[in-house]
Amino acid sequence: MVFFRNTLRQPVISLCTIAFSGICLNAAPSHEPNDSAHLLDNVEVIANRKPLATSQTLAGSKLQALSSTSIADALKYFAGVQIKDYGGLGGLKTINVRSLGSQHVGVYIDGIRITNAQNGTVDLGKFSLSTLESVSLYNANKLDNCQSASEYASGATVYMQTRRPTSDSIAVLGGIGSFHTYRGRMNLQFNRKGWSGFIDGEFLNSKGDYPFRYKSEFEDTVGRRKNSDIEYFRIEGALFKGDFASHLYCYVSERGCPGGIVRRLSDKYTNVGREWDKDIFAQVSWHHTYNHMHTVKINAKYTHEYLRYNTNYPENQNTAKVDNHYYQNDAFASAAYAMRPWGWLSINVGYDARMSWLDADLKRFSSVRRLDQKAVAAIMAEWRGFRLAASALYQHYKDHTKLKVGAADPLQKVTPSVTIGYNWHGVSARAWYKCIFRAPTLNDLYYTQAGNRNLKPEYTRQWDLGLEYNYFNNRWMAQAQADVYINHIDDRIVCLPLKGTYTWSMMNYGKTFCRGLNATMQGQYMAGSWTLSLLTSFTLQDDLNRTNPDNEDTYNKPICYSPKFSCGITAIAAWRWLSLTISELHVGERMWSYADPEDVLKPYDNVDLKITGRWRNFTASLEINDLFDVQYEHIQRYPLPGRAFYFTLSYSLGNKLRK
Amino acid sequence: MKKILLTLTTLFVAILTAIADEKIILLNEGNWQSDNGRLSYFENGRIVSNQWFRDVNGYKLGDTPNDIIQVNDNLIAMAINWSNIVQFITPEGKAVAATEDVPNNRKLASDGRYVYISSYGHECKVNGVMKYFTKGYVAKIDVNTFKVVDAVEVGYEPEGIALYKGKLFVANTGGYAFQEDHEYETTVSVIDAASMKVERNVETNTINLYGKMSQSGQYLCINSPGDYYDIPAAMLIFDCQAVIDGKTDATCFQRLEYAATYNCVNTDGKFFAIGSRYSYYTGDYTFNYISVDPVEVMATKGASGVYEKMPGTVREDIMKIQMPYGIYVNPYTGYIYATDAGEFVAAGGLYQWTPEGKFVGSYKVYINPAHFLALKPDGNGVDEITGLPKCQPDDSIYSLQGIKVSKPIEGQIYIQHGRKFIYKNQFK
Repeated sequence: MVFFRNTLRQPVISLCTIAFSGICLNAAPSHEPNDSAHLLDNVEVIANRKPLATSQTLAGSKLQALSSTSIADALKYFAGVQIKDYGGLGGLKTINVRSLGSQHVGVYIDGIRITNAQNGTVDLGKFSLSTLESVSLYNANKLDNCQSASEYASGATVYMQTRRPTSDSIAVLGGIGSFHTYRGRMNLQFNRKGWSGFIDGEFLNSKGDYPFRYKSEFEDTVGRRKNSDIEYFRIEGALFKGDFASHLYCYVSERGCPGGIVRRLSDKYTNVGREWDKDIFAQVSWHHTYNHMHTVKINAKYTHEYLRYNTNYPENQNTAKVDNHYYQNDAFASAAYAMRPWGWLSINVGYDARMSWLDADLKRFSSVRRLDQKAVAAIMAEWRGFRLAASALYQHYKDHTKLKVGAADPLQKVTPSVTIGYNWHGVSARAWYKCIFRAPTLNDLYYTQAGNRNLKPEYTRQWDLGLEYNYFNNRWMAQAQADVYINHIDDRIVCLPLKGTYTWSMMNYGKTFCRGLNATMQGQYMAGSWTLSLLTSFTLQDDLNRTNPDNEDTYNKPICYSPKFSCGITAIAAWRWLSLTISELHVGERMWSYADPEDVLKPYDNVDLKITGRWRNFTASLEINDLFDVQYEHIQRYPLPGRAFYFTLSYSLGNKLRK
Repeated sequence: MKKILLTLTTLFVAILTAIADEKIILLNEGNWQSDNGRLSYFENGRIVSNQWFRDVNGYKLGDTPNDIIQVNDNLIAMAINWSNIVQFITPEGKAVAATEDVPNNRKLASDGRYVYISSYGHECKVNGVMKYFTKGYVAKIDVNTFKVVDAVEVGYEPEGIALYKGKLFVANTGGYAFQEDHEYETTVSVIDAASMKVERNVETNTINLYGKMSQSGQYLCINSPGDYYDIPAAMLIFDCQAVIDGKTDATCFQRLEYAATYNCVNTDGKFFAIGSRYSYYTGDYTFNYISVDPVEVMATKGASGVYEKMPGTVREDIMKIQMPYGIYVNPYTGYIYATDAGEFVAAGGLYQWTPEGKFVGSYKVYINPAHFLALKPDGNGVDEITGLPKCQPDDSIYSLQGIKVSKPIEGQIYIQHGRKFIYKNQFK
């Protein structure tokens, strides 16, 4: 059934990398919801931290000190995070948090979710770090006093906070790197009369032809990755004034989709599949607080996504010739209201509506329309050191389609979450529970020769107990946190062959039980012109398959590609115009099949190095990724690049220079 | 009287030998793009190895092997689909040749001198020259040179292939129809094996003739999964002799309203077929576990000849299997086999029954065990024969020819303690 699997880009398995967190911030309920993050450079924010949600943040200079350009590069340093990467700059990169699966992770730009009704995942490779102030990960969800309903609707949430310019400037950047990688970027920003905004454009072209080697007792395969090139243009603009924020985003790319490295007699046959993306979205957000008591927030967003997958080339004379086009349109609006009748209590209600249209020129497919509505009621209370947050989320999904199979039955559910916490002299203790599901995506339900309109939602239940300590003085800043957690996932939505046929179908099959420990520790020391930072993260996890009690080969065995242990250490040393970052990421052994104890991916260590120097208006940086040229994989037979060099030079002009 | 007794005894020993001498090569497909296709070698009630090809040759088999046949006494051919390799091995598992001139190869047939192979691809190197086809093709490989000597275009995505009286019968699927710009195929192409010319396309009015195809003399058992939407799965009993006799298309086959997703032929010439008819519209599927008498089916135009039974407990046992993935009868001994793909990322199972259908045992193999080949009993796997004097314990190692070996070579097969094994140097 080889020909089917070519086009259905379903995430099958997730895998792991890990790491540490940066500065944590702003988890406490505040009178100024949502936008306080742009103050992040300011160390004082940390002093006021009274964390309730389990969160990790990388912000400001630490974010920039880490390697490279993609959000995935920053997120891999968080505890409990697994990045799935099919390799190369062009490869699909998705995030999995605490083994929930990538479709349970909501990714938000300035509080508005990036959605994909078709497959439910977000390719992190499409978003740049360069326009961001901070990246935060909240297990369960952020706890703020005025949130929209969709902010409560995922098992884990990633917030990307756009930087609000504080000055006028212009910057240009050029970069060159290994594997024929060329990058250019231009940034214009202003801040006048309360208005601020930026235009940021980026271009990247990479052949991605990195060398790889498989060496074992049974093979010594040496080669260069083929068809792993990417070219993209990204143009973003944002405009802010006080309570108003808006963002326009456009991403156009073409990339090759390389396949797994399998036994071949020569290099004659390679994967030729190519993918084109055109993503555009525009979003506006406005919020206002009246009399320190009533807060109103309104969000709206329109998204258009185009995807083409093509294998119909003259050089492809041996596999299926596919040329499919997918069009998605998505209109979203939300309103949220929060009231703070007394200082110790805040009440939040919100309603979201999203309409998605999917069209594709697949055979036996016709357009599908989905109306997704959510409503939330939440409270937060604080009494002395004790704190409580509780919410109930109502979701309603209804699809319309002319497909002969008919639309799935409407889905409506209410799911709860509760958090309690206690603060005492910089020590915070927290305990939380969250139950949430992911609705079957339009691919899951309607994809030709795979969709199953009778799917149930995939449920997750999470329990967490955590402790956190924050300390700072003029020179020192330290933070440590540790959370133990238990996750249950029921009715996993997976693609499986149907018994007794040659065809596959999406099915609810599988239960997962996961228990683990996430810990992060970080410290910063400032003296004179020196700033020294150390960030560490640590994940210990038992991610167990509880699907079929009768199968002793799989029951209570680890989920494939899930490491038991992983950790990361990053050290940053900054002195005046120079900064040096060294990070090390260790990922433990992962099994990739239950069939043979040999079927494991070996542990690996990845050491990255980054040196940045400034001179007048110039900034130069040199990055070396995978310093020791360790060969490793996230997905078996999809080799990742080994040692790579990237050099960038930028020039900026402005009344206050910001990178 | 003495003579009769002796004959009887000889016969008895012969039968015992035959029953005990079970040698099965099992092709585990592995997972697509994971490069973990594997051979399991099963002999006389035990799995000798679940990575037999790698043990013998020191390297891996490749990605998604799709078919295995015996070419002649010394040669076995395998279609390694996603590696684009046709791999030749000896019955001892030793690789002798491989070619990548037939990409996206599917199923195999052979007359002992040539191997005929179907391909979904559109290119083939014939006598060193690239040949292109709009649809799919069948290639002819000379096993003296392991080169493609001829190739002929058939329908889109040709699958099952069988040889009968010098003619190749090729089931066309058109299986890429749901993503490519053509419809499902409905024909069986008939090719003259000597000249490699298509002589006739038998119209079956049944789409997508996909998957395993079994042959019982002049009869073929062909599966049609339908389109999984409007057109349900069916199976065809196809009469090759009728085609050769020049009968009309409609009288060359009989359509039966059963699925034959996994099928095989038993030693009586009957087909066993298991499968399910599925529709994405309704979401439910109906299973069938049947044996089919092709002679009766053709004679009665499908009115009878299909039986909802199999020997002994085979049918009931197979019904309990989580994910049936293959069924087979050893043509030399009549022993019955089935495989279970289980959870697709875990070890599959191999089940064995006696010819009478008495369950013998189950064995752990590798991922997606799908395709079988029984080796001819040659008296080498004789450790279970009773009544022979027990050998003295002796650690000597012998070659398959029975010659004592003092310095065995790693990866080769030898005999020690009466059993075949693959020599591995443990002191390395």
